[in-house]
Amino acid sequence: MSSTASQQAKSVRSEGALTLAASGLRKTYGPTVALEKADISLTSGQVHALLGENGAGKSTLVRILAGAVQPDAGEMYLDGTPYRPTSLMDARGRAVATAFQELSLVPNLTVAQNFLLPDLPKRRGGMVSARATSEAGKEWLAKYELDWIDPSATVGSLPLADRQRIEIARALKNAGRVLILDEPTASLAETSWLFKQIKKTTDRGVGVLYISHRLSEVREICMQATVLRNGASIASVALSDASDGDIFEMMVGHRAAHKRVVRDTKVEATRPPRLRANGLCGTDLRDVTFELRPGEVLGVAGLEGQGQHELFRLLAGLAKPNGGQIEVDGKPVKMTGPRKALKSGSGIAYLPEERKTEGILGGLSAATNIVLPFMPRIAASTLISPGMETKAARAAAQRVDMSERYLSFDIADLSGGNQQKALIARTLGTGAQTLLLFDPSRGVDVGTKQSIYAAIRKFADEGGSVLFYSSELPEIVQLADRCMVLYGSRVFRSFTGQELSEQNLVAAMLGHGRDEHDKGPVA
Amino acid sequence: MSTANTQAPINPLGQWLSRYATGAVLIVIIYAALYTVYAVQQPRALTSYSIAALMNNTAPLALAAVGQAIIVISRGFDLSVAGVISICNVTLAVYPLEGPGGAATSVAICLAIGAVVGLVNGYLVAILKIQSIAATLATMIICQGIALVILKAPGGYVAEWITYEMTDRVWQVIPVSGLVVGAVVLIWLALKRSIWGISLYAIGADETSAALSGINTLRVRFLAHVLAGCAYGLAGFMLSAQTATGNPTSGTPLLMLSFAAVALGGTSLAGGRGGLFATVMGAATLTLLQKVLFSSGISSFYTGVFQGVVLILAVVFCGLLARLGDDR
Repeated sequence: MSSTASQQAKSVRSEGALTLAASGLRKTYGPTVALEKADISLTSGQVHALLGENGAGKSTLVRILAGAVQPDAGEMYLDGTPYRPTSLMDARGRAVATAFQELSLVPNLTVAQNFLLPDLPKRRGGMVSARATSEAGKEWLAKYELDWIDPSATVGSLPLADRQRIEIARALKNAGRVLILDEPTASLAETSWLFKQIKKTTDRGVGVLYISHRLSEVREICMQATVLRNGASIASVALSDASDGDIFEMMVGHRAAHKRVVRDTKVEATRPPRLRANGLCGTDLRDVTFELRPGEVLGVAGLEGQGQHELFRLLAGLAKPNGGQIEVDGKPVKMTGPRKALKSGSGIAYLPEERKTEGILGGLSAATNIVLPFMPRIAASTLISPGMETKAARAAAQRVDMSERYLSFDIADLSGGNQQKALIARTLGTGAQTLLLFDPSRGVDVGTKQSIYAAIRKFADEGGSVLFYSSELPEIVQLADRCMVLYGSRVFRSFTGQELSEQNLVAAMLGHGRDEHDKGPVA
Repeated sequence: MSTANTQAPINPLGQWLSRYATGAVLIVIIYAALYTVYAVQQPRALTSYSIAALMNNTAPLALAAVGQAIIVISRGFDLSVAGVISICNVTLAVYPLEGPGGAATSVAICLAIGAVVGLVNGYLVAILKIQSIAATLATMIICQGIALVILKAPGGYVAEWITYEMTDRVWQVIPVSGLVVGAVVLIWLALKRSIWGISLYAIGADETSAALSGINTLRVRFLAHVLAGCAYGLAGFMLSAQTATGNPTSGTPLLMLSFAAVALGGTSLAGGRGGLFATVMGAATLTLLQKVLFSSGISSFYTGVFQGVVLILAVVFCGLLARLGDDR
């Protein structure tokens, strides 16, 4: 940066002037209008929130600002000069950097290589120096307080949370003027690292656009918010002046009923448990014992990497336990795969974490995606008519409040929220009496969340059993009858009734307040 | 930070196996074992003459597989290998150029033929976004047609200088064909550590992420096809040196074997993983297997059966070792 430019930046900072201003942005894909008319302006040194339901056009707006997509109409200015990036690198050249929700790291390259691409340090003769790359990577990691990550490690071998941190750190590195963070906390269980880094960035006068579904986070670090609804910006408000209710109303167009539902527990303690784990051990998991009874919703809470992934994978038959036993309806079962899980006893259906890679089958319609596991049941002989498929899918879709018109769409074209609804409809539609749901509302909007909660609740009221993990504590408090907290690869504490509060959960997740129970609940 | 203590305990043996045994080491071990069998059957197998003869047989397939591996690493398939080799072969047989100067011109012509086909492939795959298997199927058919136009039926003579010198031994020991393959592998080792090389692995693993990381995926893919084409051209040159005659379908047998060599060398056909040295060893193993079967008195009709079985065993074994490494 030249001295005049830096002076300019300084004056900009002191005035709190606009860094990026966009107005009238419009983008259509064929007949679909992704973004109708969006206005947004980022102030230098401030964090600006972008709120809206899934499908409101947030992703499209982010992609336009990031340079990945060009708008059909509208104007953008960066520091007062016209800004019309034709590619991501073009935007990066103007010091606008983005951390994407669907992480943009290359899995088979090292952390350092991902950090520095497309310019790696070279030796004489044009060859890339592995050592210089690794050292440069180490310096950047240290700068963003990620020292514990090995710069030479392959990105694909790292846990999701670390990958997300690297994605964010890379954007921090390239963000000289504007930083765009799309759902940066989707895989981060705690936010202190992120918020500290954001603070450092805003101190440099960078304008930050922050997209998140977690309103409490948004309130913590953002001053202003722009709300998108149906592809148009509804309002830009100062967050201090707007209540949660106001914001929900702007997002969904009606005031969301937001009260804690107290549920009569209809858990049938007399009947044998649907699912019982006895001293279950894995590589990341030790001695997990619990029972899941008919009609019960059992939550699992824990910070990233406490063994929750493995617990669900063991129960769904995707991994083999090192010890212990799984019982379904009182009978020991050796889980060899999800199909076996679905067929044992009253059936166990699993909703995986990674919607994009483990869940949806892009290219097939939403209806086909829903009926896939129970096709033999609805088929007349071995042939399935589209009519039968749609009928079966419609019934399942209704249970999650999914609009019927989406059923014929290619599922890859649907918004994240509708994809998730389709996947939950799939698990419900299997007829299994036990559901294993891993973060069922990850990255979906408020409205979809409520539909998903309602579906889970209804399923339990009708006698189904649910085991779910969530990275959001309010969700566990709202939904679970009982909650196990995983800490240090084991069930650290369990909570029921009035004890099941956010404060108690947080304490247990951090390893505090261990009670006399050694191995979880004695049910 | 919680992350530090969540690292799973590692199994050092499994890790070691997955790191080394799944790469070039496994195929080198297979090759050494097979060579031992060969040496027991044929005591003359260890003479420099036999080694050179084996190397001469190996070189065309090895070079074809090298080009194939570059495309496979970038998550693609290249069928044009058969067409390029055929065109080069008939060109050399119809227009023989004598002497060292003629040989140099011939190499240049072969590289140019490969590069031109590579450019067309690159345009179809990178710019027009046609699936690589469809695009190269078309260019292969076109090239086969061109080869038939140049030479209607097997015949012609490749320049004597090429057929003698390229199959000879330096100081009566080192086969020239081995030097050619060795030089190509060395060039690759340098390219692999260039930004292009790293980008090649990146787009093979995840093209979207690579593009979002700022990699010019068009240029990387384009260059990959051109370089692969050059490797096929060189393969055609070495094949002509060995057969000394022209045949418009000479490249066809190498098509499927080039994929087999790539897979045998442990390069994932899903892209993003693998290397060229292991591919060369894979090609060498397939060729040696033919020799061993021949010297065992097994009818050459069965060669294909054995090659297929070895391929399956190697890929399965490779997968087992990789899983051992992952099961931390």
